[in-house]
Amino acid sequence: MMGIVVVSHSPALARAAVDLALEMVGETRPSIAIAAGAGEGVIGTDAVKVAEAIDEVANGDGVLVFMDLGSAVLSGTMATEFMTTRDEVRLTDAPFVEGLIAAVVLANAGASLDEVDREARAAMAAKQSQLAGHGQAPTTDLDADRTESSAVGTTTSPNVESAPPAEVSAEAPLINPDGLHTRPAAAIVQALATMDAQVTITDITSGTGPVAAHSLIGIMSLGATKDHVVKFSATGSAAQSAIETLVAMTADGFGELAN
Amino acid sequence: MSTSTISLDQLIAWLSRFRDLVNENQSYLTELDSAIGDADHGSNMVRGMKAVGEKVGAVPATAVDELLKSVGMTLVTSVGGASGPLYGTLFLRMGVSAGPVTELDGVALGAALRAGLDGVVARGKAEAGDKTMFDAIDPALDAWDTAVAGGKDIAAAASAAFSAAENGRDATEPLVARKGRASYLGERSAGHIDPGATSSTLLFQALAEAVTS
Repeated sequence: MMGIVVVSHSPALARAAVDLALEMVGETRPSIAIAAGAGEGVIGTDAVKVAEAIDEVANGDGVLVFMDLGSAVLSGTMATEFMTTRDEVRLTDAPFVEGLIAAVVLANAGASLDEVDREARAAMAAKQSQLAGHGQAPTTDLDADRTESSAVGTTTSPNVESAPPAEVSAEAPLINPDGLHTRPAAAIVQALATMDAQVTITDITSGTGPVAAHSLIGIMSLGATKDHVVKFSATGSAAQSAIETLVAMTADGFGELAN
Repeated sequence: MSTSTISLDQLIAWLSRFRDLVNENQSYLTELDSAIGDADHGSNMVRGMKAVGEKVGAVPATAVDELLKSVGMTLVTSVGGASGPLYGTLFLRMGVSAGPVTELDGVALGAALRAGLDGVVARGKAEAGDKTMFDAIDPALDAWDTAVAGGKDIAAAASAAFSAAENGRDATEPLVARKGRASYLGERSAGHIDPGATSSTLLFQALAEAVTS
C-alpha cells in the first residue's frame, strides 16, 4: 500500500487533519506519517523530519506528501534530497484537508499513487460544485496572475460510456440524514474497491451524474441529500453483487440511522 | 598576514559575527516581518544561529565543506520557517562548492557563495525584483566578483559586497512582493524593506567585519 506524509507548521493541525481523514476508514488504515512543527513547541517545518517521515511510510508503492503552505512546501522539496528511499515520492498541490481525506480513503482501498494523487488534487471540485451559485470574490489582475499556475482541474467524475450490455442497475432512496456526504461516499468507495465492477451513481431526483462510484469526490459532487433517489448502474463480472451491496448499504442508511 | 585567502577560523568568526548581528537586530527583523510577513523572521534566525553556534562550538570542523554543511543542516532543523530551507540550502551548496579544504581564496569563496545562491533560487524560485533575499545577495556577489577580478583582496571584496547588499536591500522597499508570505499582500507589500534581504545583508556585514578584524 502506498504511503502518505502530512507536513504542517502545526503538529495539532496535522494530527487533527489525519484524525478527521481516518474517521472515513475502518480499523485498517493506510500507512501515514506526520512531520509537523520545528521541535520544542516551535511552529514551523523541518526538512529532515519530513525525509524521515517519507522513509517511514515508503514500502515500494510510492509516497504522497501533503503540505500546508510556505516553508512546508520548501521543506517538502528539500526532503526529497535527504530521504533514503528509492520509492517514487510525489509532492501534491492537493488541498490539505479535502485532498488528505480523499487520499486516505483511496489509499486504504489499495489504489495506486497515481490514482490517489489524481483524486486528491481534484478534491476541491466537489466543494466548488457544492458552492457554485453562492457568488465569489471579484477577481483582479493580480489574482489572475496568482492563480494561473494553480488552476483546479475541474473534475474526476468521468462521464460513463453508454451502457454496455449486461448492465445491472437499481434505484434507491437515501434515508440517512445527510445523504451521500463524505462518510457514506468513503464507505461506497471502499466496498467497491475489491469488486470487479464498474459502477456509476446518478442522482435521479436532481438529474446529476452519472459519476464513477470509485471516486470519493465524484460521489460527493452529486450533492445527493436525504430523500433523493439515486440510481446505481454496474457492469463487470461482479456487477450483480456490487448493486446488491450498494442497495443494502443505502437501505441501511450507511450505518448512520439512529442508534 | 595574507588577505588573499580566508581561513577556517575566519569563516567561523564570520558565522559567529552573523549570529551576534542577528541577535542585535532581532527586534528590527521582527518589526520588518510583522509589516509584510508573519513576524517570526527575527526569532527564527536567532534560534537558528544559536543552534549553529552551539554546533560549531561542540564539533570543531576540520575542513570548510564540513563546517558549511554542518551549518546548513543545523539551520534546516532548527529555524522552522522558510528561512530554514533557504539559508540551509545556501550553506549546504556553499559547502559542496568549497570542498574539503582549509582555506578559500577570493575566487573560490565567490564561487561557493554563488553556488549557494543558485541553490536558494532553485529552492524558492525567486527572481530579481521579487522582494526577497536574492535582491541583496545577487548584487553583493556581482560586486564581490568585480572586486576579486580587479585584484582586490578579501577585505576589500567583502566591503564592496556588503555595500552592494545594503543598496539591494534598500531597493526592496518600493517593490511589490512576488514570493513568500508577503506576496499575499500584493500591492500592500510595497513601502516596506524585505526582512530576508535585511538578514542577508547582515551576512555580508558579518563577513566584512570578520575579515578586517
